[in-house]
Amino acid sequence: MSAAQIRFLSLLRREINRFLKIKRQTVGAPLLETFLYISVFGAALGSRIHTLHGFRYVVFVVPGLIMMAWAMNAFSNNASSILQQKFQRAIDDQLSSPASPVELLLAFTFGGFLRGMMVATLTFVAADILVGIPVHHPLVLLPGVFLVGFFFAQLGVLVGVRAEQFDDVSFYQTFVLQPLIFLGGVFYSAALLPEPFQTLTHFDPVYYMIGLVRYGFLGYSEASIALSLGFLTVAAGLLFAVNHRLFTRGYRLRA
Amino acid sequence: MPAPALQITDLVKRYPTGTEALKGVSLEIGEGEFFGLLGPNGAGKSTLIHCTTGLAQPTAGAIRVFGHDAIDHYQDARAAVGLAPQELNMDFFLTVAETLDYHGGYFGMPKQERRERAEELLEEFSLTEKRNDRTRTLSGGMKRRLVLARALMHRPRLLILDEPTAGVDVELRLELWHYVQRINAEGTTILLTTHYLEEAEQLCNRIAFINSGEIVATGTSRDLSETYGVTSLEDAYLELVGRKELSRAHAAVDAP
Repeated sequence: MSAAQIRFLSLLRREINRFLKIKRQTVGAPLLETFLYISVFGAALGSRIHTLHGFRYVVFVVPGLIMMAWAMNAFSNNASSILQQKFQRAIDDQLSSPASPVELLLAFTFGGFLRGMMVATLTFVAADILVGIPVHHPLVLLPGVFLVGFFFAQLGVLVGVRAEQFDDVSFYQTFVLQPLIFLGGVFYSAALLPEPFQTLTHFDPVYYMIGLVRYGFLGYSEASIALSLGFLTVAAGLLFAVNHRLFTRGYRLRA
Repeated sequence: MPAPALQITDLVKRYPTGTEALKGVSLEIGEGEFFGLLGPNGAGKSTLIHCTTGLAQPTAGAIRVFGHDAIDHYQDARAAVGLAPQELNMDFFLTVAETLDYHGGYFGMPKQERRERAEELLEEFSLTEKRNDRTRTLSGGMKRRLVLARALMHRPRLLILDEPTAGVDVELRLELWHYVQRINAEGTTILLTTHYLEEAEQLCNRIAFINSGEIVATGTSRDLSETYGVTSLEDAYLELVGRKELSRAHAAVDAP
């Protein structure tokens, strides 16, 4: 293994080690939260709303929940991990090593990405056992969820680097991400909304992400798949470019 | 002739606030030297160290470590430097052994080498019993040992000690002195900043005074005393900071 590979894997191992050491909070809590959603929307609401676009209501909701689990965990992991290390100045150990900006950025990114993947996979397996979740288009689903995970992992890095206090992280989580995700149509079909809300939903980027993931699982989408994939690829690429620039300049990391 | 361990040329560091922490500092430390950097708080010591280790980005100037550029193409330079910072910046999620292992990994050391080196350092710094303890549970003295062990993990040729004995008890201070003197004798170049002048006198073969972002004098302890026309390093330092009225030599003379 080359020195660069050892460096990258060590940086990544540190990130994985961090979230596994507090797995009750980082894996257990999001799993419980998702199950509560499934119970409430599956058992309680599902008994009133029988089908949506031909799918049982709970089955219609699960793809959005899986996407949300990946997105929120990828984001919050990276934002918290970077901010914590900045606070303790423990990050100086990585910053004063020979690691390049790309190595640092990718290691932080994949820490949250993998945590999101873990929670999303467990959610999928459990939901499949409980209610049976089809996978119609794996070739759309896999790039779709990977791009969503990567996008939110990048966003977490960006917020973690910019943040100066924990309030900054929870602000984005509570006031930006959660509304965008909820209003993007995790729990309902945007087609059922009255105007102007239906049109407004089309300006929510998460709407296209949910469309992509729902199409991968159920074969149903209201948004264009090609457009959603294209948009997400460009957005993830742009965020990566912004973060790369910040890491190269040492923005709020190096004095 | 071998390249100097550290060569700093016209180093300027201006913060976005406009504060100029370093105003064109030039400094050369030869391989194998034990070099002291003394100056009051805010003089620019830590900024100089941070610029050398990549924790601060210089505004202008050049830094070379054993001939390798430490600013733009920094990989070889960083690999040659070990930093024991003033702040006990432990990663609270890690155990003592993990702290050393990850650090070795960040510097590209293979697993087997990391394991052997970590064992060696845990033993050397009396941390073996604490190896599986989380770093946040360690006492201040233990944290200080770990910071030093971590800096040495990747066998740096240049070790930078930023106030390594601030707040440590007498035994640990002496223990650290013995250790760093030994590794210096074995060939490691050391750059030390300290507020304890006795420490600098005991350990360093050459000392630089830094004040307001400028190196104002460099030499042995005796050279510095002669430069300021006084008899001790402490008095030379007091001259530097403009507080010669605090001199203990005066106190002895003035005593009834």
